[in-house]
Amino acid sequence: MTDIKRIAEKTKQLLTDAGAQKAQYTVTEKEKHEFNVDGGEFSLFRTLFDRSLSLTAYKDQKKGSAFTNQFDDAAIEGAVADCIKSAESGVADEAFDIAPGQENRVFRDGAYEPDIDLFFERTRELMDDIRKKHPKILMEQMIVTHDKIHSIYQNTNGTEFEVYEGAYSVSLMYSAHEGEATTSFFGSDIYTDKLDRPFIELGSLEKDLSDTEAQLSTVPMEGKFEGVIVLTPGSLGEFLGSIISNFASDNVILEKTSIWLEKLGRQVADERLTISMCPGDSRIVCGQRYTQDGFLAEDYDLIRNGVLKSFLLSLYVANKSGFAPARNTSFSVIIENGDTSCEDMIRQIKKGLIIGRFSGGQPGINGEFSGVAKNSFLVEDGRIRGAVSETMINGNLADLLNNLVAISKETVANGNTVLPYIAFDKVVISGKQ
Amino acid sequence: MLEDHISDKKSLFSTGVHTELREQKSRSRQVVMIQGNLTGNARMESSGTSARVYQNGVYGFSSIAECSGDAAETVLKAATENAGFMDRHVGRGKGPLPVIPCSPIPQGSSIQDAEQKHYVEFAKALDGYITEKYPGLSSRSVIATEDSLEKIICTSDGCSGHICAPRSYIYVFLNTETASGTPIELFKSIGGTGIFTENFTDPALLYPEIDKLYEQIMRKREGVYAEAGYKTVVLSGFMSGMLAHEAVGHTVEADLVLGGSVAGPALNKCVASELVNLVDYAHTAFGRPVPLPVYLDDEGTPAEDAVLIRNGILTGYMHSRESAQHFGAKPQGNARAWSFSDEPLIRMRNTAVLPGRDKLEDIIASVDDGYYLITSTNGQADTTGEFMFGVNMGYEIKNGKLGRALLDTTISGVAFNMLKTVDMVSDTVEWTSSGFCGKKQPMPVGMGGPALRCKVMIGGR
Repeated sequence: MTDIKRIAEKTKQLLTDAGAQKAQYTVTEKEKHEFNVDGGEFSLFRTLFDRSLSLTAYKDQKKGSAFTNQFDDAAIEGAVADCIKSAESGVADEAFDIAPGQENRVFRDGAYEPDIDLFFERTRELMDDIRKKHPKILMEQMIVTHDKIHSIYQNTNGTEFEVYEGAYSVSLMYSAHEGEATTSFFGSDIYTDKLDRPFIELGSLEKDLSDTEAQLSTVPMEGKFEGVIVLTPGSLGEFLGSIISNFASDNVILEKTSIWLEKLGRQVADERLTISMCPGDSRIVCGQRYTQDGFLAEDYDLIRNGVLKSFLLSLYVANKSGFAPARNTSFSVIIENGDTSCEDMIRQIKKGLIIGRFSGGQPGINGEFSGVAKNSFLVEDGRIRGAVSETMINGNLADLLNNLVAISKETVANGNTVLPYIAFDKVVISGKQ
Repeated sequence: MLEDHISDKKSLFSTGVHTELREQKSRSRQVVMIQGNLTGNARMESSGTSARVYQNGVYGFSSIAECSGDAAETVLKAATENAGFMDRHVGRGKGPLPVIPCSPIPQGSSIQDAEQKHYVEFAKALDGYITEKYPGLSSRSVIATEDSLEKIICTSDGCSGHICAPRSYIYVFLNTETASGTPIELFKSIGGTGIFTENFTDPALLYPEIDKLYEQIMRKREGVYAEAGYKTVVLSGFMSGMLAHEAVGHTVEADLVLGGSVAGPALNKCVASELVNLVDYAHTAFGRPVPLPVYLDDEGTPAEDAVLIRNGILTGYMHSRESAQHFGAKPQGNARAWSFSDEPLIRMRNTAVLPGRDKLEDIIASVDDGYYLITSTNGQADTTGEFMFGVNMGYEIKNGKLGRALLDTTISGVAFNMLKTVDMVSDTVEWTSSGFCGKKQPMPVGMGGPALRCKVMIGGR
């Protein structure tokens, strides 16, 4: 193992000697163990040994950044020279800054050392479970990894955060096949630091596989109507990503194109909706410990009871815009459960869709979205009628949040997020005409 | 230039297995200017050595962030052990891969490195032009980038070579609002293979492109929503290139065929109108270099064109050495890796629909009621061939003439159904190459095509 603290101290000295008035840098050492399954068969065992030095310097209020994965003296000196030259060629801006000095901390999260033999056995067990319980599933690809990371963040305000973390991730891509019938592909992801349970019991994997098999039989979907869509935890995460990117992120606040620019402290969603960013929650595996600007990460609400409480901003854009920086910059989204069971939620739908995956164009900056409802089911008169194909949905992301019908009692925790099913009304649904 | 630490390590390759050893340096430069604020200004480099060993149907792989003789020996040992682990536990019992006949591969030359101030000054000049000439825009962004790969590839029973692949681009984003206050955006990417200072010598040469983009967003400002439904459309070359890549190309990657793609049972069957021909080009098309030439892949296979659809018939897939053996086909150089720590995967190179005989003007004139769709924000497709593209610029066609511009919309369809509706193909191919294809790893790819008249589902409002 490399003495990454020595690399950090050397970097600091070189940056200061080169005239950086402020700087921050992260030294990381990583080890990855990965098994791949392709076409339903084990195909690859991969071990990677990587490292990185990522640095940002501010000279005369100009910013430059550099990155290298080499730790010899010449490489570090080269990266520092690149960083400083970039800063010198930059544009001065008073908004560039780093966090004030924070309490120095050492974090130890997850399963730092992998149990490769048990990990392999759990993976083989998952393949066996899928073959036995879901014989119609064809595994296009499965990638299971353990990532071990040791990193040190330092800045010129005296902050030092050291992180030791390790976790297992399981990522599957599959479809169902029966005779000539085939479904769209579907992906499931799990992030965990424990190997005490079969993988098939984690997250929503078992239900995802069952739903995919059920998509083999489709029902015709014709015409166009305005109806209710139920977003599953997986598709809800995709929509939340677009909502945050379009309305609450750095670029749209800096460009002043966000339609929420004047909405801080005001109602932007149904009052039953609270969206929190919680990397410190016990259900989140190896959550963010500090931000890229050097603040200790804290949990916060993006939206509480429908009121916009924060944007997801870096320190730079916060300084440019006058808003506060986000207290963490993770996507560890938690939406707590509501009071309606999924069964009741579906029973109350006159006509609509359960959306398993949305394959859409990048929503416009006004929030207009349009795309194909993939891995989705038609609901009529409170009953699931069957899977749909070639069905499009369109609407507006901002309107969606105000047209909430119900939040499910059930939630899915996959290690990265904790999300329920949510039903939204007034979405245009159109089949092939 | 990357120093060769691996060629003399061939004597360490184990017998009875297939071995690849690769040394690689990746470089990227990026400047991001949003509303005149220099928000990104970075120079990144990474390098390292990797080895992959194939033993009885399974692979072992290892990489280390170091370029040296010791690093090569370390990864060779680890990859061989990993292959042994898999063989012991999985035991697929397949034999060796067929040997690849060697042929001369063009050697890469040193990639020059421009100072960061070139990128910054170029972005500032374009930003200044936009600000001065078009003050009414609500916002603008300029991004200047270069990314390059340099690899030394050494294989036990294939070709070896030294490859250099730089590419550089400028991206311009313009934003404005409709009369009702709805924000809208358009962007344009300009560039291709080559280093930044070769591709971008004078900002003024790009001003006409910016003017054209501005004119388009002003038309879009007055735009209307497309009427939802199954419509006759004219796809521009940009859009047909995306179709070639996303909706067809991925389904005919042999690993996805083995994963159950729609192309599996469609080989040697009619999947498109007889006007449709599709090729994944290696390095040369229509007598000229393609946007991102590939001469040798990361398995040591010399690159040649892969013909995928001929006169509407699906004729082949894209392969790695292993999948080619499975299907009894010839590998054509599609197995590529992005980072030194990535294993080769089956990837497209420069995938294009071939041109036809029609003129674009005649195609548009032939449509009574439809849409001319020009550029796309993104595209996704399924292994069933069901695709979706976001369309950010297009026009109505009424009685054979272009009408009002369109606000953002989406088109969708099933590739092998939709391609059967193609009944006119223009005589000019338009290439793009600025994006990355995502399939476990990012990968630079080129895509191209002529304008096509066809039928698709279009989303309205």
